[in-house]
Amino acid sequence: MFIIELCGIPIRLENRYSYVERLCKNFRSSRRDYAFSVSATEEEIAQEMQNGNFPPDYCESICLYRHICEILPGYHIFIMHSSVVMVDGVAYAFAAKSGVGKSTHTALWIKAIPGATVLNGDKPLLRMNADGSVTAFGTPWCGKEGWGINSSAPLGAICFLERGTENKIRRATEEEVLSKIAHQLYLRGTRTTIDLQLQLLNRLVSALPYYVLSCTISEEAAKLAYTTMKRNKEEFSK
Amino acid sequence: MKINKDFTIQKVGSSFVAVPVGETSKNFHGMVRLNETGAFLWKKLTEADQTEDSLVAALLEEYDVSEELARKDVQTLVHALQEGKIL
Repeated sequence: MFIIELCGIPIRLENRYSYVERLCKNFRSSRRDYAFSVSATEEEIAQEMQNGNFPPDYCESICLYRHICEILPGYHIFIMHSSVVMVDGVAYAFAAKSGVGKSTHTALWIKAIPGATVLNGDKPLLRMNADGSVTAFGTPWCGKEGWGINSSAPLGAICFLERGTENKIRRATEEEVLSKIAHQLYLRGTRTTIDLQLQLLNRLVSALPYYVLSCTISEEAAKLAYTTMKRNKEEFSK
Repeated sequence: MKINKDFTIQKVGSSFVAVPVGETSKNFHGMVRLNETGAFLWKKLTEADQTEDSLVAALLEEYDVSEELARKDVQTLVHALQEGKIL
């Protein structure tokens, strides 16, 4: 077992396989105390293996993160399945149904926008702060591309991606935000955990501007998204 | 009418959402979005066994609406919940 720090919270992982230790190498903590400890049973790992053709060590890491994500809402932190890119110290999150091109769009940001870095390409954590702002954090779980760093930044906006024949960006309505964001959260577990997450979601929907980007695979799409969100972020915070 | 009680209802933004908890969450993914009356009726259903008439009566007691409109609201919700196998 070993201790990692996520969003500044020390968490102990009781692992059977060494894969998760390698996965978490940039998040290891030298602290000895921990806020909570997680482990995965053999049954859970076996169950996870049935969901896809993945080896047990990888499945264990998924089970461990799932348990972490069930506990973190108690710390005002929750997972949002998305890709988060940082530019000039501000984070922007992209969410899309799988297959829409979240990774492709992320790669375009890196190419088209100077100074853009991927904070986490798949499973970042968001923390609702007491002042109403949101901070995005990197995690060891960052998708098959392995795009991610151990860092954090204030979240500027959330953008839902759709494929289109031309590049258009607009603000999302509250109804769209609710129906789209539900797919990106991990809403499972006990009533207490889910209630906590929904209370955080209630704060999240009014904490940030939301966008729908209909886009082609082009650097113009990335530039349009970035310039619009950056400009409006300044207006939103007024 | 008996409702599946493995749901939690919370206000998110200007609407309400019902999300499955516990065992139900393993088979039912996602959330049901409700307006204020929908959330009110859902709560009534979790509190006690209801009929269409008792739900209409509850709505009329709480809100200043016509019986016709109240019944329409009840029928719409009941139908949607039955479709989703929640009721």
